Amino acid sequence: MNNQATTGVFLCECGGQISSRIDLAQVRDLLQGEPWSHLAIYPYPCLAPGLEAIKEDIQAQGLDRVLIGGCSSRVMKKRFVKELTPLGLKSHQIEMINLKDHVAAVHEAPPPELARKAAALIAGGLASLKLLERYEPVSLAFEGPALILGGGISGFAAARELARHGMESIIFSKALTPERVLDELHYTFPGCRLFCGDLAELLREVFADPRVQVLPDQPVEYIIGGVGDYRVGLKQPDGSITEVGGAAIITALDRDFVPADVTYIGGRERVLNLLELDERLVEGQTPSGKVVFWVNSPQHGKEAQEFATLAAWRDSLLLVRENPHVKPTVLYPADIALPLTGADLREARAHGIGLQAYAPEVHPVVQSGYLSFVSPSDRLEHELEWDTLVVPGVPGGPSPKAQELVRWLPIYPENGNLKKSHIKFWPDQLPDESLFFTGTAGGICDLNEVLQQGKKAARGVLNLREKARQGRLVSPVVVHVDKDLCEGCGLCTEICPCGGIEHVKPGSGPVPRETDNHLCSGGGTCAATCPHEAIKVLNNTAQQLEARVKAIVSRMDEHDFLGFVCGWGGLSSAEQAAVKGLTYPKNIHLIWVNCLGSIDPSILSLAFLNGVKGVMLAGCTPTHSCHYHYGVDHCWYRVNAMKKLLSLAGLERRRLAMGYVEVNEPENFVRMVESHLDTLEKLPPLPKDEQTMAKLWAIHATMHRPRVRWVLGTSLRRPTEKEFPGSQFNAVETDETMLEVLKEEYTVSRIFKALTERPLSPPDLARALAEPVKNLTPILTDLAKEGRIITKGWEKGYPIYALGKL
Amino acid sequence: MATKKAKKEKAKKTEGNGLVRFSINGQAVEAREGWTILETARQQGFDIPTLCFHPAVQPIGSCRLCVVEILQDGRSRVAASCITPVQAGVEVLTHSEEVTNVRRWVLEMLLANCPASRQIRELAKAHGVTSTRFTVEHPEDACLRCGLCTRACDEVVGTRAITMGNRGVFKEVTAPYHRHSEVCIRCGTCLYVCPTGAMEYLFPQVSAP
Repeated sequence: MNNQATTGVFLCECGGQISSRIDLAQVRDLLQGEPWSHLAIYPYPCLAPGLEAIKEDIQAQGLDRVLIGGCSSRVMKKRFVKELTPLGLKSHQIEMINLKDHVAAVHEAPPPELARKAAALIAGGLASLKLLERYEPVSLAFEGPALILGGGISGFAAARELARHGMESIIFSKALTPERVLDELHYTFPGCRLFCGDLAELLREVFADPRVQVLPDQPVEYIIGGVGDYRVGLKQPDGSITEVGGAAIITALDRDFVPADVTYIGGRERVLNLLELDERLVEGQTPSGKVVFWVNSPQHGKEAQEFATLAAWRDSLLLVRENPHVKPTVLYPADIALPLTGADLREARAHGIGLQAYAPEVHPVVQSGYLSFVSPSDRLEHELEWDTLVVPGVPGGPSPKAQELVRWLPIYPENGNLKKSHIKFWPDQLPDESLFFTGTAGGICDLNEVLQQGKKAARGVLNLREKARQGRLVSPVVVHVDKDLCEGCGLCTEICPCGGIEHVKPGSGPVPRETDNHLCSGGGTCAATCPHEAIKVLNNTAQQLEARVKAIVSRMDEHDFLGFVCGWGGLSSAEQAAVKGLTYPKNIHLIWVNCLGSIDPSILSLAFLNGVKGVMLAGCTPTHSCHYHYGVDHCWYRVNAMKKLLSLAGLERRRLAMGYVEVNEPENFVRMVESHLDTLEKLPPLPKDEQTMAKLWAIHATMHRPRVRWVLGTSLRRPTEKEFPGSQFNAVETDETMLEVLKEEYTVSRIFKALTERPLSPPDLARALAEPVKNLTPILTDLAKEGRIITKGWEKGYPIYALGKL
Repeated sequence: MATKKAKKEKAKKTEGNGLVRFSINGQAVEAREGWTILETARQQGFDIPTLCFHPAVQPIGSCRLCVVEILQDGRSRVAASCITPVQAGVEVLTHSEEVTNVRRWVLEMLLANCPASRQIRELAKAHGVTSTRFTVEHPEDACLRCGLCTRACDEVVGTRAITMGNRGVFKEVTAPYHRHSEVCIRCGTCLYVCPTGAMEYLFPQVSAP
C-alpha cells in the first residue's frame, strides 16, 4: 500500500470562511512535489453537492487515500467516513487537516502567509498517509466457557443467565453446595436469609445445570491470554498448578461485612453484632423480647450505614416472621435515607417493627436494658428498652480474593472501591465490553442489584459470543508486537492501563508479549515505552508521526514551533479558541495525537534534529483528566529526558515546554502559546553548525537506545510519587541517576557519530567532541571490551578506534 | 389534484438521471434529488445565514434563519431551506422582501431570547437589527435551544450524554435528572458546534465533573 497510494487532496473554502483567509491557490502551488495525485478546491466538501463531487473524483481517479483540508476532524470526519466507506475507503485512509480552526480563524496574517502554514500542515498529513500499512482487522473466535472468578453471589446469577442461553460456565467458589452458599452468605450480605427461598431456587438451578461447573476456589496463580482465549492458573493444595481455559472472565467480588466490635460495650450474650445474630439464627436460636438494632458507624459514610440499616431491617423481618413475640426496633441515624419502600413500611407497622431515627450529633448511650438517643423531631432524649442489643457493623473492603485478581486484571482501587479503568472514550473507539466486573467490591449496593449485575455481565458475554458467531467480533484498534524485536521485558504490560498487553505466566522468562486488542484503548504509551521499539499502534505509528513532523518542520520559518495537542483537552481548547473568535500567533503548528503519552521520545529529538526552534505540548491535567490514565504523566518523563539531553548539548531546556489545559479553556491555550512564543523569541535560532548537528544527531540516537528507553520506562511516574498526588521522596537522587544514564548514552552516541566519519584516537575524539579525554576514556574502554568499537591501529601510544559491531 | 397535463409538465422538468433544475435568485441551477435548497444554494455561492444548521448533524429547521421564498405554480411560500428538498421548476429567492422581513423578526426575537450571546448580536447587526421590542426575561441566557449540542452528542459522538429537558418556554439543555451526566466523556464536541457560545457556561453544569 505504501508506494502505490493514490491520494486525493480536497481543500475546503468553507463558503469563504477559509478561502478568504488562506490563499488556497497558493496552497496548491506550494504542495507541488508532495505525494498526491489529485487536488480539488470545493466551496463546501461536507454538503451533499460537495460530497458528490468528491465521490466522483475518487471513482474517476481511483483514489485510495483522501486528505481533506477543512475543519475539525473530531466533529466532521464521521460524515466523510460514512459517505466514502461505500467507495472502499476506510476511516484510517481519510485524513482531515483543520485549516479553519488551526489556521484561518485564529491568525491575523495575510492570506499568502497563511497559505504557507496551511501547506505545511497538509504536507504533514500527506507524509503520514503515505506510510499507512495494510493490515487485516483482528477477528476473534469465542467458544468456551465463561470463567467466573471471585466467589461472589453475583457469579451464580451470571451462571444461570449463561446456562439459560446455552453457554457453559465454570464458577470458582468456596461453597460447593447450594446450602453451603446460603449458610455463608451472611458474611457478605447479612440479613439475606430472608431471601433464602428465592435464592435457594436460583442456586439449585445453577448447581443442577450440566452447563455449569462449580469448582473449588483456589488461589489464582496467573491469568493470561485475552478475550476468547483466557487461561487461569490455580494453585492446588498440593502446590501444583491446574490451568483452566475460557472465553471470557466475569469477576464476582463482594465485600466482607465487618462485624462491629461489641466487646467494649459489655453485656455478654445480650449484646451481639449482626454476624453473631445471623449465626444464631442459622442454628435456630432466636433472641426473645425487645431486640434493638443500633446502626452506629457514622465514620463509614452514608452508603455503608444504609447497607447496615437494610440488613438490620431484614433480620427484623426474619425474626418477627418466625417469632411473633419478638419486638424488634431499628435505630438508625437521621442523616441517611431510610432504604425502605412504602410496602416495607406497611409491613413494619403490621408486624410492630419499630423504625426510629436518632440525631447523629449526639451519640446514643448504652445502659443495661436501655439505649438513650436524641430524637430529631423534638430534640428530647428518649429511651429504647432492649433485651437484646444488636450492633450491625458495616461492609468492609473488597474480600481478600480481590488482591489476587487485581494483580492480573485491569481493575484498580479507587476511593475504597474497585473499578475498571475509568477511561472515557467515544463509543466507536471502543470495542464491545469484554471485562465483566460485578459485586459489591465495585460499590456498596443491595443483594438484588448485585444479582442484576451478574445477569448483565452474562448478557455482555452472550453478546460477544453472538458477535463472534457472526464473524463480527472485531477490535477497532490494533496494536502489534513484533515478536522478533520483543525481548519480553514486560514494561508494556506494566504500564498499559487497559489490559491491552497480555500477561505471561510467572517464571516463563522473557517471552514476547501478545496483545489483547479487544481491551486496547489505543493510548499508545506502550509503543512509546518499549525499549526495543517492538510495538506499533497500526495506522497511528511512530513512523507516521515522524514523517509528519519532518514534513512540517521542513516548511517552517525561523521562529515557528511545533505544538503537540492531545485529542481531548489540548485539541478541544485549541479549537474552542477559534469558535470563540480568539487569535494567537501563527508560529505554532499544531499536530494532534490521541494522547500525549503516545508520543515516542524519539519524535521530540527528531523535531530538533530537523531544526525546529521549539516545541510545546498541551495535554490534559494530570492525573484524573487524562483519558488514558497516566499518558500525560508518561509524556512528562519523556519531555524531561529530552530537556536533559538538550542541556547536555549546550542548548536551552526551555525550548521545550509542557502545558496543561482542560476541554473548555481556550483562553488558557492562547496564553500558553503566546507565552512559549515569548520565550522562544528571546532565544537564538537553533544553531546549524556541524558541531550542533552532530550533537542533535547523538541526542536522537540516544532516544533510540534500549538502555535509555528501559530506564525511562521503569521510571514513568512523576518523581517517585506512589499514587500521584505529590509526595516526592528521593526526587533529587532519582533525577541524578536518570541524568547519569542519559549522559553516558549520549556520549556513546557522540562517539559513534564521530567514528562514523573516520577512525579516531582518544585525544582526537576529545578534540572533536570538546570533552576532556579523561571523561571519555572509561566509556571507550567499556565499548572496546564489548566489541562495539575496535582498535584499527596505534598512534603516539593511543589506540585508533573505529566502529565495531553496534 | 394533479392533472395529467400538470404531471407531464413536471416530468419534463425533472431529468431521468435524478437531476433537478430550478432557479435561485433568477439564476438557473442544477441539483440532484435529495439535496436541500440550502446545500445547493451554498454550493452555488449564495449566502444564506443559519444558526441551527451544522453539516455534522441532520438539519431540523428550528432557528428559521435560513428561510427562503419559494415561488411555485403562481404561489409563494416561505420555507426553511435547510430542510426543504429541491424541487424542479421552482424559483427560490434568498433575499426577497418577505424573506428579509422574516429574518429580521427572527433576529429581533433572538436578541430578546439570547441576550447574552455575542454571536447572535453580531449576526443581528449584520442584518441591520440592533435592538429588540421584546422583553428580555433572562439577561444572562445565551442558549438558543437549537439542539446542536444534543444532536452532536447523539449523532456524532454517540454517547447521548445531554438532552433537551422540559418543554415549551422551559426547554433547556440538560442531562438526565438535571444532574451531571454520568456518561459524558468530556470530548468537547458540544462546545465546538454551539453557535451562540452558550455551551461555555452550560458545559460545567451538564458534563461529567
